[in-house]
Amino acid sequence: MSTTDRDLRRTGARDAVSTTDRVHLAPLDGLRGLAVTAVLLFHAGQLRGGFLGVDLFFVLSGFLITGLLLGEIGKRNRIGLAAFWGRRARRLLPALIVMGVAVLLLAWAFGSPALLALALDDAPWAAAQAVNWHFVAEQVGYWNASDTRLFAHLWSIAVEWQFYLLWPLVVAVIARGRRGQRRVAVLAVAGALVSLTRMIHFGNAVDTTRAYEGTDTRAFALLLGAAVATEPVRRLFAGVPRAVADALCALLVCGLVASWALTDGQHAPGLFQGGLFLHSATAAVLIALLAGVPQGRTGQVVGSAVPRRLGEISYSLYLWHWPVYLLLPEKTLGFGGWARTAVLIGLSLGAAELSKRVVEDPVRFRARWATGGRGLVALAAAAVVLAGVWAAIPQPQLGAGTVDLDRLMAP
Amino acid sequence: MLAVGAGGALSGCGNDDAGTGVRVAPSGSAPASAPRSGTGEKTTDTKTLWLGDSIAGVEAPALGAALKAGGVEFKNASSDGGGTVVEGDKMSMPIARSTWKALGRDIASFRPDVIAYQITTYDWGTAQQQRASYEKLAKTARDAGAELVLVSAPPYKVDDFYKKYAGAIKSAPKAAEEVADASGGTVHFYDASALWGTDGAAAKAQRSSDGIHSCQQGSAAFAKWFTERLGKQYGFTPAAPDQWAKDPWVGDRRYAKLGCG
Repeated sequence: MSTTDRDLRRTGARDAVSTTDRVHLAPLDGLRGLAVTAVLLFHAGQLRGGFLGVDLFFVLSGFLITGLLLGEIGKRNRIGLAAFWGRRARRLLPALIVMGVAVLLLAWAFGSPALLALALDDAPWAAAQAVNWHFVAEQVGYWNASDTRLFAHLWSIAVEWQFYLLWPLVVAVIARGRRGQRRVAVLAVAGALVSLTRMIHFGNAVDTTRAYEGTDTRAFALLLGAAVATEPVRRLFAGVPRAVADALCALLVCGLVASWALTDGQHAPGLFQGGLFLHSATAAVLIALLAGVPQGRTGQVVGSAVPRRLGEISYSLYLWHWPVYLLLPEKTLGFGGWARTAVLIGLSLGAAELSKRVVEDPVRFRARWATGGRGLVALAAAAVVLAGVWAAIPQPQLGAGTVDLDRLMAP
Repeated sequence: MLAVGAGGALSGCGNDDAGTGVRVAPSGSAPASAPRSGTGEKTTDTKTLWLGDSIAGVEAPALGAALKAGGVEFKNASSDGGGTVVEGDKMSMPIARSTWKALGRDIASFRPDVIAYQITTYDWGTAQQQRASYEKLAKTARDAGAELVLVSAPPYKVDDFYKKYAGAIKSAPKAAEEVADASGGTVHFYDASALWGTDGAAAKAQRSSDGIHSCQQGSAAFAKWFTERLGKQYGFTPAAPDQWAKDPWVGDRRYAKLGCG
């Protein structure tokens, strides 16, 4: 969701990974485009299993980030952690902060008191990249309360950030020296299995927010992605004949899309008892195979213009779509169904494109002030603006006029 | 729910307060607390501990405001996504364990005179398991020097999640009523269908858009109904709704989560 081909090229990280990475990122961008489409349709009520797109994002992130880390360690025998986190921050935070400020202001101007109150509650957690744990404590799944929370979708961004903070530290320690990549692969697979047991454990609860949004319970997707980025696993998949690998890729893409169409929502039987793990494992195998045959037929289709372009804007598209959906309910628009879906997706695409052109790309590629010490100052200034807007918006009065005394007193 | 309500009215044990759904203790069984009168008078012997699931939880802000306005101490011990006392199937058992543990702590710290338990959506088990669990709750209350009030749950949408438990959902109020009937007056059963009706989709049920919980108006209606019944049972005059119904409780975040406004 967050790392693109251009990102790698411009930040200089490209030279830290093997040459084959350049070509297979096109289909991976395409996969990201498919994933974000699934999520957009799911949230619009058009694709019951589309939430699985987030799982694909996680696997892709685990693969790409681990690939970068291992590439760097292979070249320099160390990982520049500060530089890594700086690149992540430059890539992810500007769009997030701008969206956060804009959404708070929009909610103040147009949202219901409940929508604004909960957005003000959630914003500090979102800013701290810990909103998933806040939602676990709030039991948003139990209350089916996502429809009242403008930042509900940021739980997955928080999970990714927590992974970005911890995993490089682990890789920096265990990947150095002989058989370093092997150790990373073993640890990633072992960690994924532990994560699966956590999900099974919490998946039996009445409220499944803990299973669905916990960092530990979702870690297997990121870790399976990480495992297939290691040399031993890639070598394993490289042994598959090209024609077979290409056919398998087609089969696996169809399998994933079919699972999005057939999975009956987040209460589907078996989802937390291995269903999500199976989806992650399928995605990981697909990514590993696509990495081997990026120019096969499947790679060409998945990496074609439309999915790839959607993949390139997937981060900002993901950031913007949910607030757009909530601020424009059927009641406000006056129509629903596919017409509303088309309008919402169109507006989200517009906001995403604008975010990419005006915020993300300039900060990443053209703003010298966004690097080094000045970058930190800029980040602090942006955080101050966000905090200022948050503090300046008055708390709405909740519940005013909700009790009709006459009706209450009526016999 | 309809069958249960009718069963209560036809039952020969105890006196049904016609039309209210309240099962009054049989004559001769003294209430745990001395009669009180006068709105706002400080009472300490009807301290009410409120138990149940999140349906009880969204009723709690209104109920707390209504009881406190009437001078009755109140503690909300309901639990979101849990709260059942029924030691039934493998799903309800771990929830019940946690409820019992919390109940022990609440009784020790709050020392209630009345333990009020609204039947939860998780009272999953056989009718026998439900009866045994409500009897255990009655004994726990007795041992703590308190009386037990069992309240039937409001009607709610039995969606895919609840469908497989439809039998238990139906049998729970009947089991509760049987326990009250056999208690010799220390357990009281309030049939809330007198307030809500029996159709969760009807306007009378006052469910929020999720079809399960109530918004502020419904919670206020429940608080008024319940405090009137409790007042009649324990001899205090409940505060008039205009003293508590527009309290700050209407701004409770639970209602915002439900999209109530």
